[in-house]
Amino acid sequence: MNLISNLSHKNWRTVNLALAAILALGIVFGKTSVAPTLSDALLSTLYYPFHLVKSYVVELSQVNDVNQQLATELTQARLQLAFMGEIQRENARLRNNADFEQPPRFKLLNARVVAVTGNGLPVSATINRGSRDSVQLNWPVINRSGLVGRISSVTPDFAHVQLLTDPRNRVAARIASSREMGIVRHVPGIGMTLASFPNQGNVSLGDTVISSGLGGIYPSGLQVGIVSSIVRPDNLPYAEVELTPSANFRSIEQLFVLIPENQP
Amino acid sequence: MRLLPLFLYLLLIAFHQTILRDATAIATVSIDLAGFVVLAVALYKSEFTSLWFGFLAGVVSVAAVPAEMGWNALVMAALGWTAFHFRGRLNLESIFAKLGLIAGGIFVHNIALIILRGGDGFLIRILSDGLPGALYTTVLAWLFFLVKEKRITFEKIKPLF
Repeated sequence: MNLISNLSHKNWRTVNLALAAILALGIVFGKTSVAPTLSDALLSTLYYPFHLVKSYVVELSQVNDVNQQLATELTQARLQLAFMGEIQRENARLRNNADFEQPPRFKLLNARVVAVTGNGLPVSATINRGSRDSVQLNWPVINRSGLVGRISSVTPDFAHVQLLTDPRNRVAARIASSREMGIVRHVPGIGMTLASFPNQGNVSLGDTVISSGLGGIYPSGLQVGIVSSIVRPDNLPYAEVELTPSANFRSIEQLFVLIPENQP
Repeated sequence: MRLLPLFLYLLLIAFHQTILRDATAIATVSIDLAGFVVLAVALYKSEFTSLWFGFLAGVVSVAAVPAEMGWNALVMAALGWTAFHFRGRLNLESIFAKLGLIAGGIFVHNIALIILRGGDGFLIRILSDGLPGALYTTVLAWLFFLVKEKRITFEKIKPLF
């Protein structure tokens, strides 16, 4: 042992140099997994906190970009709203002159979905607003994408929303561009359809379907869906029109109850 | 406790490779911080430390490129060991002697990396990346030695503002 110790002490320089060279060449020519394993170990320890910082900074800069984009869109929306306000005032004046009835106006009541029911596709949702928030039966419910359903029952703290996916729910609707009318309903196994639409009616793929305001529950102009398929059977009076709903019923979270402005 | 500063230098290299490298690069020219730290360690520490710190710095600095890891470890270990032996011939009181060692060492390391990575235009890459990179790193080293030898202090800078 003493001999080995003396030998290694005298030749420690050579030993160290040789060891460093062997290790380095071992990483180069050794098993193919040595270098990647070493790389993974270093990246997940020494490099990890700095990668976290870098990804956080990159994320922040992206948030800044999104923020700027949203600010631009908000400005555009405000501008559009200003023009719309002017058009609305003009419309009201013209309606007044022609002795037309003024259309109802609505406020939005923000609500959160606390439960959904349905076999696969939700047909009913429970929201965290009830009669204490002045919610009443049959008031329309929307989300950012369009019409979602109507209030079907109310308790003091909660309300149930009958979604458009409930086959019993019907919406009087029209094609936004051609103004031709039909009735939107959900058919199990098929999806959302525009029923009672004339076979020769003016409709194209991609047309927007909106509520017509007839029927007394849903106000006119709420987006319901987009035409995704049209079949015109030869010997039938009605076309088979299928829609892609504007709202994604599988991911509803935040909803808005439309409250008529004349409510106290 | 003697190992802690060396571990912090390795962390500094990882920090530089992840965040500072791109932020401080001028076009394709970047600071070779790993090379500089290895040479600085060789100037002030023992032969054993210079060799093995060079080896570890070589592994850590190219951790994201496993194919280069072994060769870079070998080159950096050799760089640290050679610099340690070269320092005996230098007048360590002179900042320019140390800067000469740093510039030469980084240039050699850059040439080794260019050879290692292969590709065409060897001479062009030496002139466009290797030499400017060595000069850029030498400027950083100059500032480092000025601060270390207290030729630049906060008190001296303060009146400028």
